Amino acid sequence: MTGAKDRMREKKMKNQPRNVIYTSSGRGTEGGQGSQACGWVRGHQPGGHSYSQDLPKHITASFFARARAAEVNAMLKAVGKPAGSCHIFNALPKHMRRRAMSHNTKRLPRRLREGAERLAERSQRAPEKEKKQLAKSRSRRARRRHGNLLLEFNRRQRKNKWLETHIWHAKRFHMLKTWSYCLPLKPTAKSFRASYRAMNTHALLQDLSYYCCLELQGSEEQMLRALARLTSKQTGPTFAAASCLSGARQGSVHLYKADQFPQGSLGPADFLWRPRVPDASDRQLWIWIHPALRQDVLSELQLVCQCFEAVSISEESCPAVEPYAGRKRKRDEDDAEQLSKRLLGNGTRPAGTAVRWHSSDTAITISDLTMEIVRYRLIGPLAHTVLTDTLRPASEEMEVTKPSNHSTDEVDTSVHQQQADIFQLLRGVGSTAELPAGCVLGLTVDDPRLTLPQKRGKSVPDLQQSAEDSRVRDLTLRGVAAHCSQSTLWDASVRDRVTHNRPSEQELNRMRSELLVPGSRLSAAAQAGVPVLLVHQGGRVRGEERLHWGSGWDLMLPKGWGMAFWVPLVYRGVRVGGLHMSVKASQFTGQPHFPHDYPDCPAGQRFQSEQEAELLEKFKRRPPSKRTNYIKHGCLAPFRCPWQQLTEEWEELVNLSAETTSDCGTGPSDFAVLRSLKALRQLSAWCRPSSRRNSFPLTRATAAALRQECGRSLVWVRLRLLGKGQPALHATVCVPTTSDLQLLLKDAHSSGPQEPRHKDHLKHLRRHTSGPEEPACAVRGVWPPPLPSVLSHCSRLTLGWVQQGDFSLAAGHGEALAFISVSGLLHMILQQPQEQRGVVLLRNPSSLQYRYARISIDI
Amino acid sequence: MAEPRSPVSASVPHTPMVLPTPEGPTLEMDPMEYTLRKRLPRKLPKRRNDVYVNMKTDFKAQLARCQKLLDAHREICIHGLGLAINRAINIALQLQTSSQGALQLAANTSTVELIDDLEPEDPDEAGEPLTRTRNNSAIHIKVFYPNP
Repeated sequence: MTGAKDRMREKKMKNQPRNVIYTSSGRGTEGGQGSQACGWVRGHQPGGHSYSQDLPKHITASFFARARAAEVNAMLKAVGKPAGSCHIFNALPKHMRRRAMSHNTKRLPRRLREGAERLAERSQRAPEKEKKQLAKSRSRRARRRHGNLLLEFNRRQRKNKWLETHIWHAKRFHMLKTWSYCLPLKPTAKSFRASYRAMNTHALLQDLSYYCCLELQGSEEQMLRALARLTSKQTGPTFAAASCLSGARQGSVHLYKADQFPQGSLGPADFLWRPRVPDASDRQLWIWIHPALRQDVLSELQLVCQCFEAVSISEESCPAVEPYAGRKRKRDEDDAEQLSKRLLGNGTRPAGTAVRWHSSDTAITISDLTMEIVRYRLIGPLAHTVLTDTLRPASEEMEVTKPSNHSTDEVDTSVHQQQADIFQLLRGVGSTAELPAGCVLGLTVDDPRLTLPQKRGKSVPDLQQSAEDSRVRDLTLRGVAAHCSQSTLWDASVRDRVTHNRPSEQELNRMRSELLVPGSRLSAAAQAGVPVLLVHQGGRVRGEERLHWGSGWDLMLPKGWGMAFWVPLVYRGVRVGGLHMSVKASQFTGQPHFPHDYPDCPAGQRFQSEQEAELLEKFKRRPPSKRTNYIKHGCLAPFRCPWQQLTEEWEELVNLSAETTSDCGTGPSDFAVLRSLKALRQLSAWCRPSSRRNSFPLTRATAAALRQECGRSLVWVRLRLLGKGQPALHATVCVPTTSDLQLLLKDAHSSGPQEPRHKDHLKHLRRHTSGPEEPACAVRGVWPPPLPSVLSHCSRLTLGWVQQGDFSLAAGHGEALAFISVSGLLHMILQQPQEQRGVVLLRNPSSLQYRYARISIDI
Repeated sequence: MAEPRSPVSASVPHTPMVLPTPEGPTLEMDPMEYTLRKRLPRKLPKRRNDVYVNMKTDFKAQLARCQKLLDAHREICIHGLGLAINRAINIALQLQTSSQGALQLAANTSTVELIDDLEPEDPDEAGEPLTRTRNNSAIHIKVFYPNP
């Protein structure tokens, strides 16, 4: 109930008695005749006292009256004093009261006039005590003036940072506040299929500036030595991969805590080396990580590089001074602009936090470049067409973008010329997937707002372009050479200068209005070029199906130029996607998405707790009779998957069946996700139905060896449904029995076995406990912790749970991505016949039907 | 275009490099293990009436699509790569028989270069990522109603 209603009620009831109890002193001897003043209280009291006292058969009037005297007095008092209405106005009959008499006492008859005046005076004096002092807010117009709006935006960004394209997204997207950013989640219009079509045939655009960038500077050997402790060669290319070290390719790596492989996994990261400059010995490295990881990775890096001394500290970049209201407008404009300039980059960082750390022994400097570089991602086969339409290489190399200490100008221009040539060659490429994954191209471009088309259109590939076939072929074969990946974006001074010299929209519009012929193109003269970096993304690189789906380009810009590039890109007909679409993109490429699918990383575990709370909240919001009863469906973990329990139980089961007293139990206590490429290759070969090339034959001995090595691990698999079925989140993956497999052999389209319904034991328990309502942990229909045996709760053994599952538009049937236990997988495939190896059962949490699916591990 | 078959993830032994030493027997380096990854073939610009045939989609579906396009445009071009050459020819001939000889076919063959990426086992030691190219044959069949 709102405060106003409460206050009104108080006012009306202030004269009414709350509690009427007959406290008779001497009449207690009168005993049972109606003098049982059983504290009659007004209203429904929580105690639930019933009125069931024994009623007397006959009463005496005087005793009755005396007992009820208290109540009668109270009633008379209440009736006599009408609350909430003034007696002055009630003295007049209703048909003589007028509205104007409330503020104009002269309208009252003379006998009532003094009383009314006294009342008016009293109400004038009283407010300081009773009334709240309402803050006088400024007019809407004053609140919406440009300078004040910017201040308001800066204030709102203190808690959650805004991306540069925030306002554009806020008008068209549902926003989500996570990881201290305000990010676009989904468009308000229904566009899932349209976005999928865009990713499949045209291009989809996303703003990824929330990814944090950490820069390392120092000598190469020192950096490699330090970083080698954070990665392991078994998971794939590390920071020292030769193709990435030259700066020609972007690499991706999985980070671990120092020296703790295979435990202590932190999360994935992308990295980019700056191409070698001939005279400098220092090198620069950019590491791009998800914001949820940032604190962990930063502390690990500091530990490993021994950089603990903070060198530079961020200052308060925007003084929160209000422009004086009374100034004249003309003088006000420039000052107001400088005072309340929109915060760019990470200006909301509290003053005094360190941004750069230096180490004296290893001579490595770590800088935190969060929000300094804007990153846009284009996904789709025509991403390169959109880029070649939007961007135009700078016509002449402007002085501003050249680093000040560079001596040879001719070399510089020739590099720029080569980069422009390669950029032109991109038009001839048929699809973005043809280029080698991860190649990097540096470029200096003109302001794309100058060539903004009048109307929105859609980029189409150039059908005629095939003139320089051999050079295009070279490009697709070898990618971009290392010296063409050089860009001045790496220099902080150049970035700052370019950001500072950006012409505002107002200036551009003024130039447009001064054009001789309205509507013609603006000339690029006197506008400096903007250094950008184009990084190719490989899309789906693992597995056998739909290779290179989802390949695209990443565009990196200096801060401040976000909207200048965003609007021209949107005008070329790309679809825009949010967080939801990036999860779906990783689902279609079969990759785990950070932080949803990383249960062994601390950020992943935090995310899972949040997700569990959210799902439970949603579940509780439904009325109890419409909720799924997960106990009856035999689903132990609809909201959060107990991986630790699963791996432990599989160890026990396997040890029991093998009757070995192996001491796997004394191994590492925590589960981990299997990332070692060699083991994954072995498992992948074993999961296929028939392998002609038996380089890793499956025998008990080899299986036991693998289990010894990584029995307590989970492996990321892709499940493909053989028939009907649409997998949902946290569906159970189970081992089929021999009869199930025979059923499948007989009839390829059979639907699969059904799970018998379980009994809800807790329902009976709950009936008996009469007490306060459900304690916090027991929600009806969900197993309360601690869970019973996860493995053998249902009729089929549990292997694992699905993390992402949906009807796949790309494949045409249901597809799911899941984690399953390695020992469970080995146990299962040892028992299956050769042709049906890798067939499992899948069951949604709210269903009793098992569906057949086939496992594959993508390598 | 036909989808390439499943990539061979097995050891492709690199030819052992023979280093001549001044005296004594020649040394042999250990063969490095590679994983082969096929890249998609180059996609030619696609007009409305280009049909690329593959082995994964159902035959009847591809035939129906070609038939529909032929009714809309007066001529279509069917492309097939590798194993899909058979299927492309099959489709073209079936279209011809179902039109009772009103259609005419014109076939051209070409060679398409396919690129494979060789990813070494130990990525830190290898130099530039190796690519291997191989050739494959393709067929382009133009199916049209002849102008009288």
